[in-house]
Amino acid sequence: MTKLLVNRKEPSRNEIANRQDFETVLVNIRKVKSLNSPWFYGAIAFSSLLILTFLIL
Amino acid sequence: MSANLLNLSLFGKPEDELIIIERAKKNPAHFAPLYKKYHEAIFRYVFKRVDEEESAYDITSCVFVKALVNLPRYEYRGIPFSSWLFRIAKSELYQSFRDKKAQRTISIDSIQIGRVLEEFNLDESEHKREVLLKVLPMLKEKPLQLIEMRFFERRSFREIGEILGLTENNAKVKTFRALIKLKELYAQHNPQKS
Repeated sequence: MTKLLVNRKEPSRNEIANRQDFETVLVNIRKVKSLNSPWFYGAIAFSSLLILTFLIL
Repeated sequence: MSANLLNLSLFGKPEDELIIIERAKKNPAHFAPLYKKYHEAIFRYVFKRVDEEESAYDITSCVFVKALVNLPRYEYRGIPFSSWLFRIAKSELYQSFRDKKAQRTISIDSIQIGRVLEEFNLDESEHKREVLLKVLPMLKEKPLQLIEMRFFERRSFREIGEILGLTENNAKVKTFRALIKLKELYAQHNPQKS
């Protein structure tokens, strides 16, 4: 259901500017990039195979 | 912030922006001036469409993360970089609605209500305002976003097209149809015919 807000108070330019946080953006990019990296999934697949082999043997 | 203000470049020329983008593709830290330039515009776009201010800040942050992750694939094809960011913002907004992290909201003020009634060739009265406010949330998402961008945010048809991936003409036609749809809803819910 769509909500309707009439004459809602908007934050000022200064308030918005004070909430700028490019450092957090950079940190989050590194996290996303490492999650999307083939090395990440490769490492998981390799460890899973290793555990499986260990359990079978 | 009006659409015209958004088009003002802090770097003088659009080519300067492209230079920053190319640098940021190699090192995301170089994106800082563009983050500073567009943060407020993206935040306001998101804020008007979600119910909580904190959600708007979170979504805005996600928009820039997504933009930077996808920046290596960005190519300038005549569409302003700001429109590319607004497209990402639109997609992040819908993702947060699907994940129920935010609620779809229409933020409207008295001036914007007057603007829509003017389009209907109606003078303002308390009753007409009430009917309009009642029918606005009944619009489907696509016509609603066109009405929001054109009449609430005063964007040009060209900019609307760039954000929604339409031609300028198509944006104009679809906005006109959205307005007709809104008029129909208004007429159906207005017992006192004007």
